[in-house]
Amino acid sequence: MKRWDLIVIGMGLAGLTAARTAMEMGAKVLVVGRGIGSLSLFGNTIDVLGELNPETKMESGIRGWIAAHPDHPYARTGAEGIVEALDSFRTLFPSPYAFAAIDGRNSLVPTGAGTLRPTYLLPVTMAAGAAMRREETLIVGLRGFKDFQGDTVSLHLRCRGVTVSLPRYGLEGATALALARLMDEAPFREGLGEMIRQQMAGEKFIGIPAVLGLKDPAGVLKTLEAITGARVFEIPMLPPSIPGTRIFHRFREALIAGGAAFHMGHPATGAAVENGRCTEIYAENPPLTSTYRADRFILANGRFLGGGLWAEMNRIREPLFNLPVSQPGSRGEWFREKFFQPESHPIHRSGILTDADLRPVDEEGRVILRNVWAAGSILAHHQAIEEHSREGIDIATGFLAARRALSA
Amino acid sequence: MTPGNANRTPARTFPDVCVRCATCMAVCQVSRVTLRFPGPKQAGPGAQRFRSASEASVDDWIELCTSCHLCDTVCPAGVPISELNLMAKAKFLDERGRTLRDWLLVRSDLFGELAARFSRIVNPLMKNGAIRWLLDRLLGIDQRRDLPGYEYPTFRQWFRTRPAAEDRKPEVAYFYGCFTNTNETDVGKAAVALLEAHGFTVTVPPQRCCGIPRLGIGDLRGAKEMGERNLDLLLPTVRRGIDIVFSSTSCGLMLRHEYGRLLELPGAGELAVRLFDLCEFLGRVRGEGESVVRFRPLPMKAAYFAPCHLRSLNIGLPALELLRLVPELDIRVIEAECCGLGGLYGFKKEKYEIAEEIGKDLAEEVARLQPEILLTDCEGCRMQLRQLTGIRTLHPAQLLRDVLD
Repeated sequence: MKRWDLIVIGMGLAGLTAARTAMEMGAKVLVVGRGIGSLSLFGNTIDVLGELNPETKMESGIRGWIAAHPDHPYARTGAEGIVEALDSFRTLFPSPYAFAAIDGRNSLVPTGAGTLRPTYLLPVTMAAGAAMRREETLIVGLRGFKDFQGDTVSLHLRCRGVTVSLPRYGLEGATALALARLMDEAPFREGLGEMIRQQMAGEKFIGIPAVLGLKDPAGVLKTLEAITGARVFEIPMLPPSIPGTRIFHRFREALIAGGAAFHMGHPATGAAVENGRCTEIYAENPPLTSTYRADRFILANGRFLGGGLWAEMNRIREPLFNLPVSQPGSRGEWFREKFFQPESHPIHRSGILTDADLRPVDEEGRVILRNVWAAGSILAHHQAIEEHSREGIDIATGFLAARRALSA
Repeated sequence: MTPGNANRTPARTFPDVCVRCATCMAVCQVSRVTLRFPGPKQAGPGAQRFRSASEASVDDWIELCTSCHLCDTVCPAGVPISELNLMAKAKFLDERGRTLRDWLLVRSDLFGELAARFSRIVNPLMKNGAIRWLLDRLLGIDQRRDLPGYEYPTFRQWFRTRPAAEDRKPEVAYFYGCFTNTNETDVGKAAVALLEAHGFTVTVPPQRCCGIPRLGIGDLRGAKEMGERNLDLLLPTVRRGIDIVFSSTSCGLMLRHEYGRLLELPGAGELAVRLFDLCEFLGRVRGEGESVVRFRPLPMKAAYFAPCHLRSLNIGLPALELLRLVPELDIRVIEAECCGLGGLYGFKKEKYEIAEEIGKDLAEEVARLQPEILLTDCEGCRMQLRQLTGIRTLHPAQLLRDVLD
């Protein structure tokens, strides 16, 4: 039976980063996942540490922050590790659809809820959102498209808003993917640009739902900017995420071209362990159970939605290797009183404890499996939601886990 | 720890497993091109919550699902979305009734042998404009769709009349599928040649249509009957310890997974463990190191397309791995999710345009790559690629056979 150098479990940003890093180091890599991963849900921009004051440069700010958070996954990668991993990520997206930080700091960009959120790397299609001025911005909704309520966005952002319709296309009930596909067609985007231009009252910025195509989003942006004479930006919205799907497609294209394999749709449901090493994992595709063998494994299947963690009635467990999970003492302590509040719910800090190399450890800090590494949100002691650090953790730990796994 | 001891999931068709995350909406090929189909989230678990066995079906758009299974492969919650769609489609069509066309199309295995015998008459007739117009008007088989020609002798006849191998080598059985038998016999010949080159004696057990066309029209009872017949015919082979390979990924998906998972046929598991995709099987036989079977250099620009049913088999891209062993072959992967033909789906008048729209994106990708030859494991994808691009399109086995050293 085929034996892989590395099997990555999970195909979110952490797993994909780990797979690509290992592949570029010459490893034969298999990626297995029970679904496509979280990128097509809420992948948009790359958050690294949104809670850091936008006045502060990320590279210097994050150093001090890590010193104050010694248990955080970033303390494993270090500031240099984060920078190196982000640079590597950016090489996957050459111009024109490139990712960049504005002035090396966090930027505030509009969301589909009409709020501003801090983030770090922006795709070229969202960059203008960070520079927008309310009084010079027009928010454009598309009639019939339910996943982006332009009125709500413009009301909350206190900008002018319009909803345009393209009768020829009859967009009632259109999905994000259908719109993105239409955007890839020149007549549609030109017609839309013209429709927007007619609605403008001297605005210099135009915010539009993040559906500017899957094939050539930078080209779509250019068309709209040329027709309207304004700077155009995509606004992230409800799932499915078109910008996240672009990221997934780019990774998959590069991985398959480089010889990595994808087995998607069936979760790893069991693992064989001998002498402190994982020898093989199992995935069920009824009526068959597939067996996958490798020298090394990276666990990057996320938390509760991804299936990396499993919440039982009274405790949280890790179902594949039965690794110890750092968690609140009892179910009563999982959540705070209110759903929305500034502090994190304690359940969100649960996860896998690791050594400095990202290998899972027990409460005493002893390595449990010598050839298993963990990456991404399954790691303990981060608060990705409140810190705005999800993608940064995925990229930095996925990168580090692959480096460590391949040099072990 | 034993396989499968974690994450027990509730009953497969329980719609509340769906968390409405909309991941499936990022891959559905039908809702991407038409507003007539609400997409897998709504059509599958969404509408399922309102469906009841005692009430009439109301969702006529359910027929527009192509059963590509892509939604199943991306779902983070393991919802069998396409199965929910299929069940709803079956109920809808049971109530509405099926057309003569649907009845005819899924029985092409019965007419195939006859059509092949008279291919010299049948093939020109199927290209005749007047006849195509009649088929279009009377039956609803779209006249814009190229119909595949029949070939004589059939693969089965060719195999039966060829001289038997002298020396006894390890045996492997071959499931060729209807299309190979009567419309693309060279695929079968290539499969046999490759297996023999890798040191096997090939046998061809008696077999029937796998039944997947019947699933396409929601005819679960018909599909079950086909499955039962095939199990009766194929189980004696696997019980002798002989592996069976298939060269059509859709037949393979039906035999390996749907007989058990969907149709719950007794003996399906026994067959599944001995059933392999041709290229998957060859990859296993060749192993990791240098194989004794080598390929000659082929300086050519080729593009490979992974059929959606291959993706559901969850075996990676074994044909691509073999093609990469051909020296000097510049092999690219076509970045598209689905060809859109959906088997018989794209032949039907009311669905032709959807199939064509989905295929358009694939054709654009091909145009970008500018390959001299196209390769894909599924006969449906090959038909669609030929019609959309006009480029020579083969099963990977055919190219590999041609460069055997």
